[in-house]
Amino acid sequence: MRQRTQTAYGFLSPYLLIFAIFWLWPIIHSFYLSFLSTRRQPWSFNPGMTWGRLTQDPAFYNALWNTLKILAIQVPVMLTLATLLAVLLNSTLLRARGLIRFAFFAPVVIGEAAYAAVFRLMFNDEFGIVNKTLEGIGLDAVSWFSNPTAAMSLIIIAVTWRWVGYNAIIILSGLQSIPQDVYEAATLDRVSPRQQFLYITLPLLKPVIVFCLVLSVIGSMQLFAEPYLITNLGGPGGATETLGLYLYKQAFLNLNFGYASAIAYTIAALAVSISILNLWLGRERS
Amino acid sequence: MGSVSLEGVSKSFGAIKVIHGADLDIQDGEFVVFVGPSGCGKSTLLRMIAGLESISHGSLRIGDRLVTDVEPGDRGISMVFQSYALYPHMDVTENLSFGLRMNGNKAADTSERVRGAASVLQLDSLLARLPKQLSGGQRQRVAIGRSIVRKPQVFLFDEPLSNLDAELRVQMRVEIARLHHELGATMIYVTHDQTEAMTLADRIVVLRAGHIEQVGTPLALYTDPDNQFVAGFIGSPRMNFLTGEARGHVDGRQAVVLSGQGDAVVEVALSQPLPSGTPVSLGLRPEHAQVGSPGPGTFTTTIDVVEYLGATSYLYSGTTTKEPLIVARQGVHTDRAGDQVVVGVPPDKAILFAADGTRLR
Ligand SMILES: Nc1ncnc2c1ncn2[C@@H]1O[C@H](COP(=O)(O)OP(=O)(O)OP(=O)(O)O)[C@@H](O)[C@H]1O
Ligand SMILES: [Mg+2]
Repeated sequence: MRQRTQTAYGFLSPYLLIFAIFWLWPIIHSFYLSFLSTRRQPWSFNPGMTWGRLTQDPAFYNALWNTLKILAIQVPVMLTLATLLAVLLNSTLLRARGLIRFAFFAPVVIGEAAYAAVFRLMFNDEFGIVNKTLEGIGLDAVSWFSNPTAAMSLIIIAVTWRWVGYNAIIILSGLQSIPQDVYEAATLDRVSPRQQFLYITLPLLKPVIVFCLVLSVIGSMQLFAEPYLITNLGGPGGATETLGLYLYKQAFLNLNFGYASAIAYTIAALAVSISILNLWLGRERS
Repeated sequence: MGSVSLEGVSKSFGAIKVIHGADLDIQDGEFVVFVGPSGCGKSTLLRMIAGLESISHGSLRIGDRLVTDVEPGDRGISMVFQSYALYPHMDVTENLSFGLRMNGNKAADTSERVRGAASVLQLDSLLARLPKQLSGGQRQRVAIGRSIVRKPQVFLFDEPLSNLDAELRVQMRVEIARLHHELGATMIYVTHDQTEAMTLADRIVVLRAGHIEQVGTPLALYTDPDNQFVAGFIGSPRMNFLTGEARGHVDGRQAVVLSGQGDAVVEVALSQPLPSGTPVSLGLRPEHAQVGSPGPGTFTTTIDVVEYLGATSYLYSGTTTKEPLIVARQGVHTDRAGDQVVVGVPPDKAILFAADGTRLR
């Protein structure tokens, strides 16, 4: 190896070491673990207790189903909102744009525990502001934490609130890369603002939106904090239990690391396949 | 039909006024070129005609319609941008037809117009390509095609050729001239390029700092500028300006002492006599300066730099002084830096300007 390269690797070695111990090794080791029965000592090779169990575990299918439901509803709703928000943030009519952009981005930097606590308070059945408002306008209060559908909606609302600004900022950067004169040309072509949005803005934003979609899919597959913190470990009765939460329960509550590893690999495989599908759907024409 | 008339048109961006009451009448079918130094307001004026910038004061008519407050798409104009502004995700056909399709034009007519524009601009073989798969010249042709399919009364161009290389620029220039001839539409064209302005224009509008300085045919601006700014702006290399002072006036000729050229006395045709001692600036185009032998109406100067261009040589003198002088000499000569030349001022070619830059006639 050349002297310079050696020096470079010398400086990189602390990072590489940490990467190997805390990233690479767990990834490889958990693959090995996913073939072991780990319910009692000693651990033994028994894929039937991990991969085999996966195929027939109703709790796993419940978590998978919940996760896909959230994915199918939350991601499109959030990306639609994010796109509209980005267009709004891009508007020259808006005052104090920097401040407003930061405000929408802020949820991402707020600690999960704090944000979950606020949501629990806001959606509290008896004295939460949401139910008070619903009652105030003559609607029935909703049992956010004991009604399965309501709990699922709560998760979707919370996740959307947390990530919509983040996605809007990414989409905004895409919007700002569309040259202004294209819109001027369209205006001269007598194309209405609505048509400009549908036939120019959206198609040109497609790569950015697909990027956000992939990020959101991966995020949803790993969804954990909200059902853990807001709906009390996926309550009521597992109605909001996600794959991420189920994985956590198997690993750290049941200490069944072999099965948890198999779930982890399943989540990763699903995330990768859905992302590839997204990228394929969003591929650019050549 | 395609006439354009501006009456006291002004534009302010906030407190900054960039167009100061422009009056201009453009005839139907005329090719008018806006020129002027960078930042003088050419693009702004063009964009106001297009409707992309609002008109702060004044009125604009296109044809016999008052369009000051009419939407850009309804003014019967189309515009070609310097950056082409093609729709990046659409192929050439879609780019050409987008506006028509969005306005519910009949499909048969749309494809007819697209075919027409494509054949006029030789785009037939490129119809399925995306803008990024085209060269600069091809993109510009698509941009022009996009404005043709709309069948506008007035075409607007904002420096359409400035992103192209020299050779392509010449080609496209000829193409635009041909288009103007074929379509017979009114064209308003902004450019930095002297040659484009001189060759394309029926009339040139010279702008400075938001004011229209002069409007006229290329020849009129060249031979008979209204002020020192226009005289200096039109023509390349630039007109020489020599500082002088008026002396006697005899037989329609004004004697001028050139203080920067060793107090040489030259004569310039002028109908109105100037009081003796009036400071003037004598304008002399490089090609009108005559290299010859000493005599009345001549002065001697030392050459600093010579540029040989083949048929013409440019002799530069006084390059380090306040009064540089360029002499264009026809034919092949062996002038060299350091040589002394005698420069004659032909009285009927030189022109005079007052100290404030206005033309003396
Ligand atoms: N949106 C704007 N806000 C404020 N000032 C502007 C705006 N657009 C243009 N200006 C100013 O108006 C003046 C004229 O600009 P314009 O773009 O018309 O110049 P131009 O003659 O086209 O110059 P160039 O040859 O460099 O293209 C400039 O001083 C410019 O700074
Ligand atoms: Mg300009």
